[in-house]
Amino acid sequence: MSREFALKLNGVGIEYLQRQSFFRHKKHRVLSNITFNITKGETLGVLGRNGCGKSTLLKVLAGIIAPDQGNIEFFGNSVSLLTLAAGFDNELSGRDNAIVSAMLLGNTKADAIAQLDEVNEFAELGGAFEEPVKTYSAGMRARLGFSIAVKMQADVLLIDEVLGVGDEGFKKKARSVILDRINSEQTVVLVSHSVDTMVNLCQRAIWLERGQLKGIGEAATLCEEYRNTFKL
Amino acid sequence: MTSNQFFQLTITKVFLNLKAEASKSYLSYLWWVLEPALFVAVFYLVFGVFLGNRSEGFIVFLMCGKIPYLWFSRSVNNSANAIVAGGGLMNQVSIPKVFFPSVVVLQDLIKSAVVFLLMIVLVLINNYKPSIEWIAVPLLFLIQALVIAPIAIISSALVPFIPDLKFIVMTMTTMGMFASGIFYDYRKVVLPEHHDAFLLNPLANLIAMYRGALLENQWPDWQSLGNITGIAIIALIMSIKITQFFDLKYPRLVIR
Repeated sequence: MSREFALKLNGVGIEYLQRQSFFRHKKHRVLSNITFNITKGETLGVLGRNGCGKSTLLKVLAGIIAPDQGNIEFFGNSVSLLTLAAGFDNELSGRDNAIVSAMLLGNTKADAIAQLDEVNEFAELGGAFEEPVKTYSAGMRARLGFSIAVKMQADVLLIDEVLGVGDEGFKKKARSVILDRINSEQTVVLVSHSVDTMVNLCQRAIWLERGQLKGIGEAATLCEEYRNTFKL
Repeated sequence: MTSNQFFQLTITKVFLNLKAEASKSYLSYLWWVLEPALFVAVFYLVFGVFLGNRSEGFIVFLMCGKIPYLWFSRSVNNSANAIVAGGGLMNQVSIPKVFFPSVVVLQDLIKSAVVFLLMIVLVLINNYKPSIEWIAVPLLFLIQALVIAPIAIISSALVPFIPDLKFIVMTMTTMGMFASGIFYDYRKVVLPEHHDAFLLNPLANLIAMYRGALLENQWPDWQSLGNITGIAIIALIMSIKITQFFDLKYPRLVIR
């Protein structure tokens, strides 16, 4: 493969200290010796069961936490976690939240304001856009969150199980927008519990187990292996 | 995030927070003035009526110290928990952590500006005539903001490491009130040889200057005002550096 690297992890390890008493701390290893790279334009899947370190890995990739061992190279790329409802304030209207949330996801204020109509149209909130978010149903809230998040611009987009929000109609729409992003030149890291989704969308995948890299390779092959191991 | 984006975000968040806060009560924005007004009323009742200290403008003297000090102690106490409270957000998006205390400090600054107007009204209705020295008050206000910011940022930066500090901060701000000459005029109470030491406390110094300008038509002591400003700016830069140094530590500290 001669394509350009987007991200490169070299022996990344993460450990949390858990305070047990005043002086005693217990070390809790979440990731150890993770080495892989992501090339520009590819979609990489992350397989693994609950508690295997997927969320922690995404935080490392997003630059939210720094590795304790090893390092990560970004090659000047911006990496962002697709986050729903980041920094929502229940007392504020959908409109106000859409502005702050979009700014938190890296937009300028002017851009955040310019995209408001589009966000409202996509979220299908209508007049409720001017009402406080505390009056929203869980579905409306999720729709608003998704509509803001999907506008996010980043060189590498990290997606964690957000393919199914809202009712059936919205789910379909959301899915197609995400698929458009994934199938474009966008570099994506996708975490999903659905092995089928992974096979369909990803070229390559990695498999995490108890914080270790258990496998890395072509998505179809690795997913098959994963499926056989857990008899899915 | 560019620094321009950071400032835009901070300012936007400050105004929306104020809006959200106001929307939580029936009288909304009116509470900004109403709360300190109730405060003044209680002080008037206790000192002016019950203790009979009405004669020498004691209430005005008291409020010219109490209102600036209240701003300081509120900001510092509200900021102490700011980074911890931002735990959810900082685990979702990559954001400079100084954002959290900055929002709190600016929010309190805007509310306090309103309260300061109330303080000026109080001075006026007590028959003090505006003088040229009053123009020093906005300057003192800005310098006080410069003093508050680093203390607020440092306490918010340390509380995630040592949660118990929150209580120490609370106690210190209460104790600090007695050391800042709110209830007394230091020139009458503190021994002359200790005046310099007393005025090392920037709040005691600023409060004396507020009173000087508003009640005694005196210009601030420019020398010590300059010193306070200089030290505050250095402390502010250092406090920001501290949050930057631990920037990637906080998301893991505050989630546990």
